[in-house]
Amino acid sequence: MVTHEEILKIARLAKLSVAPEELDSLTKDMNSIIEFADAVNSVAAEDSDFDNSNSLSNVFREDKVVPSYDREEILKNAPNQEDGYFLVRRRM
Amino acid sequence: MNYELICGLETHVELSTKTKIFCSCSTEFGGEPNTHCCPICIGLPGTLPKLNKAVVEYAVMAGLATNCEISPVSKMDRKNYVYPDLPKAYQISQYDMPLCKSGWVGLSNGRRIRLNRIHIEEDAGKLVHDRGNTFVDYNRGGVPLIEIVTEPDLRSIEEVQEYVEKLQMILRYIGVSDCKMQEGSLRCDVNVSVRPVGQEEFGTRAEIKNMNSLAYMAKAIAYEFDRQVDLIQSGEEVVQETRRFDEGSGCTEGMRGKEDADDYRYFREPDLVAILVSDEMRKSIQKQMPEDPQKRLTRFVSDFDLPEADARLLIEHRRIADYFETAAKGAKNPRAVANCILGQMFARLGTEAEKEQFEVAVTPEQLHELILLLDSGKIRMNLVKSTLEKMLDTGKPAKEFLSEQDLAGMSADDLKAVCEKAVAENEAAAADYLAGKEKALKAILGSVMKATRGRANPQEAEKLLADIIRR
Amino acid sequence: MEPYGIIPKIGKLLRSKEISCTELTKQYLHSAETENKRLNAYVKLTPEAALKTAAEVDRKLAAGEELSPLAGIPMTLKDNISTNGIETTCCSKILRGYTPIYDATVWDILKRQDAVLIGKANMDEFAMGSSCETSCFGGARNPHNTERVAGGSSGGVASAVAGNLAAFGLGSDTGGSIRQPASFCGIVGLKPTYGAVSRYGLIAYASSFDQIGPITRSVEDAALVYDAIAKYDPMDSTSSEKAQPAFSSLGKDIKGMKIGVPKEYFDGVREDVKAALQNALKVYESLGAEIVDFSMPSIQYSLPVYYILACAEASSNLGRYDGIRYGARTEHYADRDEMICKTRSEGFGAEVKRRILLGTYVLSAGYYDAFYKKAQNLRGTLIRAFEDAFAHCDVIAVPTVPMTAFPLNFTAQDAVETYLTDICTVPVNIAGLPGISVPCGFGGDSMPVGLQLIGARFSEPALLNAAFQYEQAARRDVFRAVETGVVL
Ligand SMILES: [Mg+2]
Ligand SMILES: [Zn+2]
Repeated sequence: MVTHEEILKIARLAKLSVAPEELDSLTKDMNSIIEFADAVNSVAAEDSDFDNSNSLSNVFREDKVVPSYDREEILKNAPNQEDGYFLVRRRM
Repeated sequence: MNYELICGLETHVELSTKTKIFCSCSTEFGGEPNTHCCPICIGLPGTLPKLNKAVVEYAVMAGLATNCEISPVSKMDRKNYVYPDLPKAYQISQYDMPLCKSGWVGLSNGRRIRLNRIHIEEDAGKLVHDRGNTFVDYNRGGVPLIEIVTEPDLRSIEEVQEYVEKLQMILRYIGVSDCKMQEGSLRCDVNVSVRPVGQEEFGTRAEIKNMNSLAYMAKAIAYEFDRQVDLIQSGEEVVQETRRFDEGSGCTEGMRGKEDADDYRYFREPDLVAILVSDEMRKSIQKQMPEDPQKRLTRFVSDFDLPEADARLLIEHRRIADYFETAAKGAKNPRAVANCILGQMFARLGTEAEKEQFEVAVTPEQLHELILLLDSGKIRMNLVKSTLEKMLDTGKPAKEFLSEQDLAGMSADDLKAVCEKAVAENEAAAADYLAGKEKALKAILGSVMKATRGRANPQEAEKLLADIIRR
Repeated sequence: MEPYGIIPKIGKLLRSKEISCTELTKQYLHSAETENKRLNAYVKLTPEAALKTAAEVDRKLAAGEELSPLAGIPMTLKDNISTNGIETTCCSKILRGYTPIYDATVWDILKRQDAVLIGKANMDEFAMGSSCETSCFGGARNPHNTERVAGGSSGGVASAVAGNLAAFGLGSDTGGSIRQPASFCGIVGLKPTYGAVSRYGLIAYASSFDQIGPITRSVEDAALVYDAIAKYDPMDSTSSEKAQPAFSSLGKDIKGMKIGVPKEYFDGVREDVKAALQNALKVYESLGAEIVDFSMPSIQYSLPVYYILACAEASSNLGRYDGIRYGARTEHYADRDEMICKTRSEGFGAEVKRRILLGTYVLSAGYYDAFYKKAQNLRGTLIRAFEDAFAHCDVIAVPTVPMTAFPLNFTAQDAVETYLTDICTVPVNIAGLPGISVPCGFGGDSMPVGLQLIGARFSEPALLNAAFQYEQAARRDVFRAVETGVVL
């Protein structure tokens, strides 16, 4: 069973806020999803070292400079910018 | 009770590749904010990383130079945490399968500092904080790093400093990084714990983050050592935590509000594929590497008959060692070459950075020619010195400053004539010498050297002068 | 060979100058605009770009220049495929206003072929859903019955193509998001082998599962589009050089082909859907194929495996939406950390948040081994089970979805209940295999039913041919054109 505290901790890690009134239903939701996911633990599986299922390896790029983008383009989608920086202004 | 310091280091080193680790933007230091950026390194949705081959090669070189095993199979992982300097909200790093494992770096006291691992990862961008406002620049985001992790083997501040210096020397040497602490291309996280002398198990450690000066590192460790000993002696407990060093107060302080931040939820980076380093690949990388500095030091001492201290100074910077080797090769008097570099050339290079660059007007080939003149007895050391000085000023070859007369050498008869003339012209000094004033002979020698424009062998001349006066 | 492909048909109309590309484009734009009020298939129309390309095609035609196979063909892209200069939102509030500054590789390919982009298509938010209803723009409707969903997550593309508001579209398939809406809308959807089509520019949901593929009216169209986009891309490290063109394989005899039918896939499948599948298998037998019944017990773990791994990757992929570089930023906040938290909490919908939380949970300290690691190991088990299966059959035939298109608002109730509907599609993504859904009749509710064919990795030529053979034999009985959109 996942507790309220655990849900809040996960939410903090994920940078999501949970309103107090959402907490009960979210915990219930998460519990049923986690219970469902827990089905994986009812079966044995061989340990695989790590998943390399597409069996590709050593896909590299050469160390050659390509001109960067214009800064105007880089900043184009920023909600706020100043002096060439992305900006998050403190509010009062 | 006496306490012992236990230190382990995690050192982040920026690699000097031309491009970033996952995109083709330049890694050049500085630059206007956000001008070395592209959709990949600012983490635009849908972009994918592509691993720079040189990063793998440089990291393998670093591993080989520090006696590591190179993993035949490794992979990239994501280290997840949301912070504005990390545009994807994860750092692509290596977790459980690093590229290099189990190495060591030797110290002058004979101890080996064991390396747990070296792995590759990307640097974060830079935040500028101004009155609660956050300005973000991603030029540094995606610059390749290696992280070199020691075992907790360091036992004193001196060892820590020597280890870092040694690491800098090795990495500069093999050309994988400039290791400039002041520019942040080498940063250390220091794990510090203490234990009573004689105790087997380690104490609880604190981690001091992001040190970028050896002097501050020494202060931080000293402060942390005292703090932890005080805590233990007053019956309190050391808490495992991350601390930062305050340069103003010289103290370390706990970083608050990070209790969840350590859960990085590592998992395999699905956008990248396995890295396989075959025997052939490892050998071919090894071939590209310059000689190991330690081996080179031994060789300089034996092949060039140098005092170890001199050899050590030459080895410290690879450009200088290479320069010396080119100039000294085939010379009968390699010590003279070393003296030219360590004396006159070093006198013109103030800082370590200038030594690292080693920009001198004289090519090693020009110095070699000059030394050959010494070898063949055509000129004497003092003339070598004055000529080298002129060469360093102008960048012109030795021949420009040496007349035929200079190069003609001096016959014994000529020298005798000059010496007799000098004694005759310095009767007073000769009398002083006869009266027992040894120093008086130097004055006469001075005028001999002046008259011969340095071509005379001072020892021969001195002997000759003494004979003439006594006679 | 009956010509069912709409792409060759339009190509012929253009090349014979029966209609100009500009005129054709205007018709599609017009019907997209009017029909969209009913179908909500498009979230953005792109008339400017479309007409510009059309004019270029007309110029080439007038000059007698050679046209690319997809030149002048009106098409759509799911709104998670990045289009330089055209807003790309993943149908999420958090990406409203975001305009990419680069093109996804697939769009770059199609652009170079002068394909005509009619608009960006609706989808479940960040491709998380099976009904298209988690879209911040509201869900796309099913052209066969607008009281039913188009399916998801590529519901907008399926709706547009089924309603002929586009001749074809590109969707993305992470757990069935191409095949399921294609099945619901009675058309063809191909999820290619993982690595066959570049993911560069596809806004990630779960990187080791995501794959872009065509949604079309016929198998012939699917093969044409697949051949265009299945290209090695140096920008995507997981892109492969192994993909083979499929179109030239269409029409090959399938006598003696072995079709594997794993019984576990039929557990819990609705009876009318089962019946449609049985009929399809009979058609195959009549074509000389051999049906091989077998068992794949490991299939039953595929749903939890999928949700654990996909959500884990999603929780990481979606961390970047912090309101700093692009997209929406919350109006009211005190400091930077609160800005990030509020932007994310307001910008993501409920389903996306649920999956981020689940993914964060299964990766977090203390749960990694029990969930993530375990699921990863089971993924290996599943991959091997498919390898074994393909040792004694050429393709596998199963339902695409255990049911037909849901009524509107049906999936909103219970998350787990909804996840169960993905049972037949997720194994293909877990194993990185190609899968195609082709219409195979209708359910008791007269909504379309899909037959799903699964092949071994990079077997698209044989897989598409198997689908093509069925289409040739059964099209009249199993396909129903919808009387909306452009009539050609
Ligand atoms: Mg690190
Ligand atoms: Zn870049």
